[in-house]
Amino acid sequence: MPLNVDRVSAGYGKVVVLHDISIVVGQGERVGLFGPNGHGKTTLLRAISGLIRPSSGSITFDGAPITTLSPREIVDRGLVQSPQGNTLFPRMTVLENLTLGAYAGHAWSQRRESLERVFALFPKLAQRQGQLARTLSGGERQMVSIGMALMGKPSLLMLDEPTLGLAPKIKDELAEAISAIAATGVTMLIVDQDIELLLGVCQRLYYIENGRVSLETREGERIDRQQILEMYFGTAPR
Amino acid sequence: MSVDTLVAILVSGFVAGSLYALMASGLSLVWGTLRMFNFAHGTLLMLGAYAAWYFSDSKGLDLGLSVGILVALILLALGGILLYALLVRPFIARPGADLVVIITTLAGASFLQNSAQEVFGPRYKQLDRVVKGQVEILNTAIGLQELLIIILTPIVLLLLALFLKRTKLGLAIRAVEQNHDSALLAGVNVGRIYPLIFAVSAMLAALAGIMLGGLFFITPVMGSDPLLRAFIVVVFGGLGSLPGTIVGAYVIGIIEAIAVFVVGLYWAPVVLFIVLILVMILRPTGLMGGKE
Repeated sequence: MPLNVDRVSAGYGKVVVLHDISIVVGQGERVGLFGPNGHGKTTLLRAISGLIRPSSGSITFDGAPITTLSPREIVDRGLVQSPQGNTLFPRMTVLENLTLGAYAGHAWSQRRESLERVFALFPKLAQRQGQLARTLSGGERQMVSIGMALMGKPSLLMLDEPTLGLAPKIKDELAEAISAIAATGVTMLIVDQDIELLLGVCQRLYYIENGRVSLETREGERIDRQQILEMYFGTAPR
Repeated sequence: MSVDTLVAILVSGFVAGSLYALMASGLSLVWGTLRMFNFAHGTLLMLGAYAAWYFSDSKGLDLGLSVGILVALILLALGGILLYALLVRPFIARPGADLVVIITTLAGASFLQNSAQEVFGPRYKQLDRVVKGQVEILNTAIGLQELLIIILTPIVLLLLALFLKRTKLGLAIRAVEQNHDSALLAGVNVGRIYPLIFAVSAMLAALAGIMLGGLFFITPVMGSDPLLRAFIVVVFGGLGSLPGTIVGAYVIGIIEAIAVFVVGLYWAPVVLFIVLILVMILRPTGLMGGKE
């Protein structure tokens, strides 16, 4: 099992956000996380990436424990995250941002090939490579963020809300790109509010509520809109 | 105002501006990446001057000026790392670390100034000039040392800019400066970047000290005035903006030189602070400071 999060609790200071949460992501699998805002999805990804340290529980990646490793060591192992929203380097160009994505370990020597792949996936970024990141539109920033993660040569790619706050047309464009990434066979863990996107890309979903997994789907099990609405609201009109 | 007065004002303005630019760019690098002010930055200038003097002067180890300068720069790079390890790193994860570090670096500055007094004695020292003699420009005699400072500083600053812009390490430094968490997620080893920044910033201060030590006397408190000016410069130029800091340094240097000529040495700082207050009112982010 590439990624195994086992009964992890974590939070910020005295505020506990994650309560004994467990999830697994299998080799080549694409797994989605969804659920209401402020219930720990981003915190879970931050804990996996080593930005915050769990107070209990363990995280293993490719069979080795990574719970106490630094973010750099985790990226070095190929576990790369594209963080949420506006998290670029604002006063650097698109090209510099993407280049930084390849900063860690072995990815650096292959940064030119990676760059070509990212530009093939997001042709818009090729046109804007000399532009400062802070002058980009929301959709373009998201593309840079995903592109940066790809530059790190991930064996497991985590995307945190890749379509947050985007117009439908740009959302579709990104969903297409994410499907294209998925088609390359990379293992993925995706957080998003857009269920259609998750259903289109992922084989399994976790519903996260109050820092716990309150529902998960099995592989091959179809989940429909109606069930999801019921999860969110407890009940939903048919 | 005659031409030679004008030339004299410009030379003294550019010499001061050069020193402030070297000091302030180091201060700005530390502020940009750690969001902390290093109040011991002035003592790094002073230590650089003393180190160069000790290794080069006939009353010290007498190894010649170039050896002295080289050794001083290397020692101060190490000193910068040591200062970070002792006065900054232990407190970095604490809440309110920026305030704690003001106190720890102030304490460090006081300790180092008094140590310098203890070790080197109260007698003023002076470094040999790198170049002796004068040239005449527009009928005004200008010291070659002053001219060297004016020419050398932009070259050093250009190298610094190239380092930040063109190298992998420079890219990482700017990344930490602009977005700490994203730098971590990109795999930048932030814990290694901080001491590096202190090393670079200490070398810049040492260089300023070596330049100053050839012009005026070396004393334990020689770094205090340049540090105060450097603070004015970083706020004036825009916190965290290196181009703003460098332009700001020269502007402040020139304004100070004019003020010294017009209102005299004692009132010049007052003029500087009036300028600073005006900038703060009219453009609170400084000359080139961004929003964010």
